[in-house]
Amino acid sequence: MSNRTLPRLLQSPAVLLLLVWMLIPLSMTLYFSFIRYVLNNLRRPEWTTPSLSNWRGFGNYEFVLNSKDFLFAIQNSLFIVCSILFLTVSLGILIAVLINKTFPGQGIVRVLLISPFFVMPAVNAVLWINMILDPVLGLQGIAVGGINEVISGLRDAPLIGWFFSLWPELTPISFRATQTSAYAVIIMVTWQWTPFAILIFMTSLQSEDQQQKEAAILDGASNWSMFRFLTLPHLGRPIAIVVMIQAIFHLSLYAEIEIVSRGNGNKNLPYLIGEFANNNIGAASATGIFAVILANIVAIFLLRMVGKTLME
Amino acid sequence: MGRIVLEKVTKNFGDTQVIPPLDLTIEDGEFAVFVGPSGCGKSTLLRLIAGLEETTSGKVLIDDQDVTEISPSKRGLSMVFQTYALYPHMTVRKNIAFPMRMAGMSEEEQNKRINAAAESLNLTDYLDRKPGQLSGGQRQRVAIGRAIVRDPSAFLFDEPLSNLDAALRVGMRLEITEMHERMQTTMIYVTHDQVEAMTMANKIVVLQAGVIEQVGSPLELYHKPRNKFVAGFIGSPKMNLIESDEAKKHGATTIGIRPEHIAVSDSDGIWKGTVGVAEHLGSDTFIHIHGIDGCDPLTVRAAGDVSFKHGDTVYLTPDETQIHKFDDMGLRID
Repeated sequence: MSNRTLPRLLQSPAVLLLLVWMLIPLSMTLYFSFIRYVLNNLRRPEWTTPSLSNWRGFGNYEFVLNSKDFLFAIQNSLFIVCSILFLTVSLGILIAVLINKTFPGQGIVRVLLISPFFVMPAVNAVLWINMILDPVLGLQGIAVGGINEVISGLRDAPLIGWFFSLWPELTPISFRATQTSAYAVIIMVTWQWTPFAILIFMTSLQSEDQQQKEAAILDGASNWSMFRFLTLPHLGRPIAIVVMIQAIFHLSLYAEIEIVSRGNGNKNLPYLIGEFANNNIGAASATGIFAVILANIVAIFLLRMVGKTLME
Repeated sequence: MGRIVLEKVTKNFGDTQVIPPLDLTIEDGEFAVFVGPSGCGKSTLLRLIAGLEETTSGKVLIDDQDVTEISPSKRGLSMVFQTYALYPHMTVRKNIAFPMRMAGMSEEEQNKRINAAAESLNLTDYLDRKPGQLSGGQRQRVAIGRAIVRDPSAFLFDEPLSNLDAALRVGMRLEITEMHERMQTTMIYVTHDQVEAMTMANKIVVLQAGVIEQVGSPLELYHKPRNKFVAGFIGSPKMNLIESDEAKKHGATTIGIRPEHIAVSDSDGIWKGTVGVAEHLGSDTFIHIHGIDGCDPLTVRAAGDVSFKHGDTVYLTPDETQIHKFDDMGLRID
């Protein structure tokens, strides 16, 4: 036995386990994506068991590509992920810079800011859509109703009444509607994930060199210049990390979409897979392969970006 | 121009007063060194002048103009920090350009000044590197370059050499002194190292617990220390302070005699002692001697070729004209 065989032999169980772990689901998905496989079909009962005799070639892929929701789901996936990323990173930087200064009650404020992160996604969605965004019973409905009442009261007031009678009556927005359900998901996920960004940025800000700032003060830099030329470059690496981790998580959003509108006007690839998987496992598997490809494209793009900032 | 005057300046951090009322004048073109043990308030004093700390009371004047309430960048001072405080994401060129860019100077003028500064500091080959790719000494030069291009009325140095190794420190010390000779701009330099103070300064300000113990030229402080603290602080090895009957003979509570003003012999002398440790430096030998009443060990600086060993009995003769006398308050008696 050469001196390399033994170590390899000892490694093999772990390597084998990882391969099995990864390869079996992937190859099964690939296999299902090339056959006709449905859970329930009275006319063609033979399709309900997976078998090579039901070979469909690229038929499932064609079916998925031609289905009306596919392109929309990809677009919407990217729209949701990019919006959440933009909002969490900018809000995160803003709030982190704000609470980096010392002020009374700092500890409590920090804990409160982090707390949304500990709420489960499904609970987060139920909370927002029913208690905050609901057009009648939620905070939004109550607030809009209250404003309308105040305005209609002021319409009868002397002197200023004419001004308020020009105002239209406000209508609350229904966030379960086709046009708005994506925004509802973006709002609630941003609420939940901004704390994550704050947490990472805050720790990074605390490691910022204070003498550099003093040097900048002497060099005549304004607060904005110091933020732009010192703080922002300093945050480059944590920003890359926050973007990468969040992109991976938000490509697979599901609970929020399901709870807000059951996919009405707001689907992403995982949700589309879920819809197909109600009956058509073949199409669901083909969509899954598309999702893997999309995730890989995004991952390569992000790794490049992170790699570049880490190299500096 | 750069005449800096402190009038009754005080500084409190919370309830603790770190600098009691203090007056100091630094003339235009002077190289002033603030020296003292750590925690004596020398850095705080420098930061008060720079405007990085606000004075609790009193006035700071630069060229007869009250700048106490003026923002740091408008005081026309440049500062070099102990940690260099370079901007890590910018190249050397951009680092040096930063203050000029903030002042909205024209690109052409910026480049002219950057090139001049880089040339005088031997940085021309490194202008496109980032601070992380430079050695400690080069980083320190970049920090100085960034200070020079602003054309300040005075330079402030906050322990700029303490992060460098010994050999580099000696080199940079010379470079900074030479820079002062060439530019003749006021410089204020903070250090805890009395050798740096002695070699670089025109004027040394010795501080202890926020109080100025003495101000004077290096040789003034060496020959006429105003009190026991300055006597012990200035000079290397430290002055021997003797508190015993020997001091009373001279009509003082304490007498001080520098190691270089004691003659050592193996046959005859006034004091008798035994050798503890002899440190051979080649050029000199520092001998630590035990058994002298009121000062243990007593340090003597002898020639490099003496060969006393541990346990040898030696006889010492102090140079009577070089004995410093201090009263019971620790103040000098002339």
